[in-house]
Amino acid sequence: MSLVFDTNMLIYMLEIIVGGLLVSVGVHFVPVGGAPAAMAQATGIGTGTVTLAAGSGLTGLLSAGLMMSVTDNIWPILATGAVGSMIMMDATMLTGDFIYSYAVGCPYASAKVNYDPITMFPQPPYVAPGTVGQGIPTVCFVSGTIGALLGGVGGAMIYYPCLQIGGNPAQAAIFAIGIFFVQAVIPSWNIQGTIEGFHDPKFKKWPLAFKASLVAGILLAIMTVLIQPLGVV
Amino acid sequence: MDAFGMGICAAAGALAFVAGASEDIDSDIGSQSNPNSQVQLAAQVGNPHRIYNKAIAGEPPSNALWCAVACLMAYVLIEGYHMPLLFAAVAGASLAALFDGVMSISAYLGRSASQARFNQWIYLDIIRYTTPSIMAHVWITSFCITLIAIIQVYVLTPHHPFPIPVIGLIWGITVGAIGSSVGDIHYGGEREFQWRLFGQGLNTMLSGQIVRKAEAGLRNSIDNAWFCAKFGGPCTGLGFGLTVFLDNWRTTVFDPVTQATYAIAMGCFFVLAMNLYNLYMEISARKKYGPYPGYKGDIAA
Amino acid sequence: MDQLKGFKLEPKQLRMYGIIGSVVGIYLTVGLNAMTGTKVFSFIGCIAALFAVLWGANSIRRICSYGLGTGVPAMGMLCTGMACVAAVFGLNIAGRFGFDWGGPIITLVYAMVFGYVVGTLCNKVMKFNIPIMEEGLMDGSGACTMAVLAWSVSLSGSLSYNEIIATVYNTGFLAVIFILGGMALFHPFNANLGPDEKQDRTLIDGMMVGGLAMFGLGICSIVTIGFAPAMLTIVVGFALWYYFFVWYFRLAKRDAAAVVGTGLLPPSAL
Repeated sequence: MSLVFDTNMLIYMLEIIVGGLLVSVGVHFVPVGGAPAAMAQATGIGTGTVTLAAGSGLTGLLSAGLMMSVTDNIWPILATGAVGSMIMMDATMLTGDFIYSYAVGCPYASAKVNYDPITMFPQPPYVAPGTVGQGIPTVCFVSGTIGALLGGVGGAMIYYPCLQIGGNPAQAAIFAIGIFFVQAVIPSWNIQGTIEGFHDPKFKKWPLAFKASLVAGILLAIMTVLIQPLGVV
Repeated sequence: MDAFGMGICAAAGALAFVAGASEDIDSDIGSQSNPNSQVQLAAQVGNPHRIYNKAIAGEPPSNALWCAVACLMAYVLIEGYHMPLLFAAVAGASLAALFDGVMSISAYLGRSASQARFNQWIYLDIIRYTTPSIMAHVWITSFCITLIAIIQVYVLTPHHPFPIPVIGLIWGITVGAIGSSVGDIHYGGEREFQWRLFGQGLNTMLSGQIVRKAEAGLRNSIDNAWFCAKFGGPCTGLGFGLTVFLDNWRTTVFDPVTQATYAIAMGCFFVLAMNLYNLYMEISARKKYGPYPGYKGDIAA
Repeated sequence: MDQLKGFKLEPKQLRMYGIIGSVVGIYLTVGLNAMTGTKVFSFIGCIAALFAVLWGANSIRRICSYGLGTGVPAMGMLCTGMACVAAVFGLNIAGRFGFDWGGPIITLVYAMVFGYVVGTLCNKVMKFNIPIMEEGLMDGSGACTMAVLAWSVSLSGSLSYNEIIATVYNTGFLAVIFILGGMALFHPFNANLGPDEKQDRTLIDGMMVGGLAMFGLGICSIVTIGFAPAMLTIVVGFALWYYFFVWYFRLAKRDAAAVVGTGLLPPSAL
């Protein structure tokens, strides 16, 4: 046997690269406040970027994997991945806000903008002294939903070609998880751990992560498509 | 849709609720994840303490480890020895709890030893009585998640194509992500700092000034479980339960082969509903709590 | 106890130990297994992984002491994520040319190139300006990949692509290797983070997690290589874990301000 390269492989490569880029851009949308957010010191979800993106994207991957075991059509698979991921992200943000409003007892506010771009509510009067905002206001919530959507579609789009190449769900799932993590770590290094969503000035840095993810995605895609099933020896 | 599938789906949701709640309490006892930064800082600003410092690489990877290990054991027993599913889950969870004990102890020893210059002592009695409590909660978490994975792969139709260790890994990452973004706020925002002004987050000036004394004597980490089990734990459980239940429910009610569109539309409806509910909560919180009195800027509230 | 000797290893030294130890270990496992026609020597694969863990834990320790803003685990996740794909890439390419033995080398080279490229991207594109980023990521991904490969080899007992896919990927055990491997690499530095962190304590912690991983993977290998060889892995893994755990405890005792059975806060803080 030898190495063969055909159009199908090119398409698979493209899907893996585009999926990775979607994940990479999606991470920029997820409002993550890091450790300070868990002390209600900063706006956003109080956890790490990588793992939150992974948590939502991989939940989407589980749904997409289930869907792909019954159909081959790419659209319902991508949509299911996106919906599974959005449900996880929204449930997290919603229950997080329960604690902000019913336990800590604070209104939600962002310190990065004066007016919420979606609801037009004024923000600075509601930012507690000595902090940089707290809770997840509407703009962050919507931004997080968009991030989860992109992450879910990205995860499913990486899984789809992996399964098409090997025809082996377990192997494809592990490859998808691996590629997903690489593509989630690179943008979270770019934003250095915290971001509030698309209204945050840091969001403008996304082209840098886009370029880095593109190169990393190409390297990973080459590896993934070259792994072809071998005949039983 | 059939009654059996629906019941199993509801059971998975209930298991997820328990898993989420115990996951959060486990991390609160060990001061894992985000509030750990304050526990770490406390000694550095001159407040050595008697609180467990379980820094196992963030909640999601560590929970992924427990759940993957539990699923590994279950997989070996089910596929290798054809053991009953429930027994396999029990054995798996026990192994996961042992792994957790080792990692917790090593993290407590390491973090405390690395703060020698701040006079942070290592207390062996803390290891002896707190570690079993952490292990017990990890046992519950990994047992529930192993059962969810088993239900998805062996019981629910259509069977999930992934092997159970992979599903355990994914749910472990998810439950850890939810636990650290939901439950930790209750511990970090409320329990660690009980003498700041109520109704606002932690003022940066107070960083590291954690509460070290209890009603009688010094505060220990098990007291934190007592507090966080009342709201932080159940909220985490709600978040994870909603994720598992809503996600399974729409593919159980609507057949994924013939009614895929409905299943997806239903999911979009849930997402929209949660967005609107959050908007409602934001408006009501702003109305009830009002702006902070000290605000001096020129933007009207 | 105060006389407990520590050690200090240079990154270059560790890189040599890591590469040579893991590659030789993998070949030794496969060679001895093939020669005797059994799977008894599979446990050597896990020991080979320990060398890679040593190498990787030190590289993560070096990079993360600069502070990346995302916590220690992120870098480990990047390395293990890539390792999941790279580990079988070399085996597959080698298998397709009918040259199974070259697999680990192809894997190692590709992984290190990948790490170097990502490190360059971080510095040049994302403007990290961490001088050792390229080198550290190259070490990290190389070490992670070798660890994942060595553990996979010890689970399947051979280097053939098909066998590794059947025993490690299809059973989902790679998920366990993925997270245990990541843990062995990033847990040591994360658990020992602080101003008084010492290299020897961190690395011994890594070895301890490596021993724990060996114990866990021994249980996995019951269904893949049979009961008797698996028991060998479990027993050796437990022994290694115990040895390193005791060593680690003594190192922690050496470094801590005080180790007390019980007591109130230090007098200075009451």
